[in-house]
Amino acid sequence: MPIHEKHLIEKQKIIQKDSAELEGRDVSGQWNIFIQQRILSQYHPSMADEIASTPDGRTINRCWQCGTCTSGCCMHTDFGLREFNPRYFIYLAKIGDEEELKKYKDVIWRCLACNKCVERCPKDVRVEEVIHAIDGYMRKKGWMDDTPASRWDDEYVGNVLKTGILDEIMLLRNYIRDEEMKEFNAGYMMRMGMNMLKTGRLRTGPIRHRTKGWKKVRKVAEEILEKDGYELQ
Amino acid sequence: MNYSEGELAFYPGCSLDGLGKAYKKSSELVSKDLGIVMNEIVDYNCCGATEVKTVSYDLSVFLPGRNLALAKEMGSKAVVAPCNGCVFSLGRANKAITEDEATKSRMNEYLGKAGAPSYEGDVEVKHIIEVIYQQAGLDAVRKRVKKPLTGLRVACYYGCLYTRPKIYTGAGSGERDNPEHPHFMDDLMEAIGAETVEYPLKTVCCGGGHAIADREVSVGFSASILNEAARLNADFVVTMCPLGQMNIEANIPMIEKQYGREIVRPVVYFTQLMALAFGHSRREARLADNFSDAGKVLHSKGF
Repeated sequence: MPIHEKHLIEKQKIIQKDSAELEGRDVSGQWNIFIQQRILSQYHPSMADEIASTPDGRTINRCWQCGTCTSGCCMHTDFGLREFNPRYFIYLAKIGDEEELKKYKDVIWRCLACNKCVERCPKDVRVEEVIHAIDGYMRKKGWMDDTPASRWDDEYVGNVLKTGILDEIMLLRNYIRDEEMKEFNAGYMMRMGMNMLKTGRLRTGPIRHRTKGWKKVRKVAEEILEKDGYELQ
Repeated sequence: MNYSEGELAFYPGCSLDGLGKAYKKSSELVSKDLGIVMNEIVDYNCCGATEVKTVSYDLSVFLPGRNLALAKEMGSKAVVAPCNGCVFSLGRANKAITEDEATKSRMNEYLGKAGAPSYEGDVEVKHIIEVIYQQAGLDAVRKRVKKPLTGLRVACYYGCLYTRPKIYTGAGSGERDNPEHPHFMDDLMEAIGAETVEYPLKTVCCGGGHAIADREVSVGFSASILNEAARLNADFVVTMCPLGQMNIEANIPMIEKQYGREIVRPVVYFTQLMALAFGHSRREARLADNFSDAGKVLHSKGF
């Protein structure tokens, strides 16, 4: 049987024979390609419920799989990363397919939170939040390690909690140092640093704006993080 | 809706104290010229942007919630933020507090513990461009122009979170800007004499959310934004988001290397161009803050 849109099927699932004979007659022109049956081996009926019980994932059950989110998604459409498919991630989370979801562990963190999906969703699913809930669920289960995005978020939260205001320059410096990014070499950093110094924008450390009475707020913030089971780095 | 004096609170956010200084100074000039008075929220804190909400939902409502509560205590009816990210998280906090009673009571408990006033989710959140557009109006802007920027072609880049999503920002209802085809910046640029191009990437993402974490995406999107502006023969990309401006400009060295120098256009804040048109000097509009040479482009156009 001819398969239209073969690219939508995983390569290892397609079986193609050079010749196929049926009762002595060659039928390979029509019947030499098969698609392997899909069997769910790792199936978690509780996955959808667990995600739906988090504040981020609370809207997952409203999804009716129209795909509006994916058609406009800036990662999927504008950047062209076809594996990044929010509709499919939601589908997998709803049926609880661990094996399939794990295939996207290097992709799912790349959501940029541009919120086009939330804007367009006809069912008021907060798609971007749900995708982050699925991402968080996968990390919590140990199905994937820290991602560049989660390390950035950790650095960000730690930074904000220090003084109440984000110290951008320290955030950039620490992250670039910890990730050992070669792209930002000494020449680049000098060029940017000099420009900022000349224009008085190198506001970091003690000269940065500080929130008065932050200690009290910080305590509450730490309480909230503890309640949500998040450990400050 | 117009607000009288003392009803507008200004929330500068983190960027405007540091890397976005040009935006702060030029916004101050422009709003002073147009007679818009805003009172800065004292002891504001970071709104949490899009990063905190992946860590904890409650914290991502509490941080902006505290700022809104402080603004309410000042007697303000609306909070004005110049940053798309701040408009998003403040609006999101408002929505979270008004749509769910349990969240509201939890937040008020946290706010009480932190020594902040309680909050009901009733302060409006506005982007500074909406305030300039509605409070002052296009006619007042036209009247105030001393040096029209005639002959300057600009591509207006709004960025992602300005009107998106409408459930948080209220876009598309009343006098708010259209969520899919925003036009406030185009109208303002035309009012100061500049020529706008029909820019298709108005609301595309710049990759700023993962500016450092995902370099491929961030450089790729920045390059396509500049490339489209170059294709349409624009002299400037005009923006209203400090993260977007910083992201694209800081990527210029990599873009030059990968895609060539000819597609690079300076990325400036709309308030910088408005300040120039209102007769302020380039120094006052802080054009030297840009990594790309905005002054040179202006000079070549005869300004």
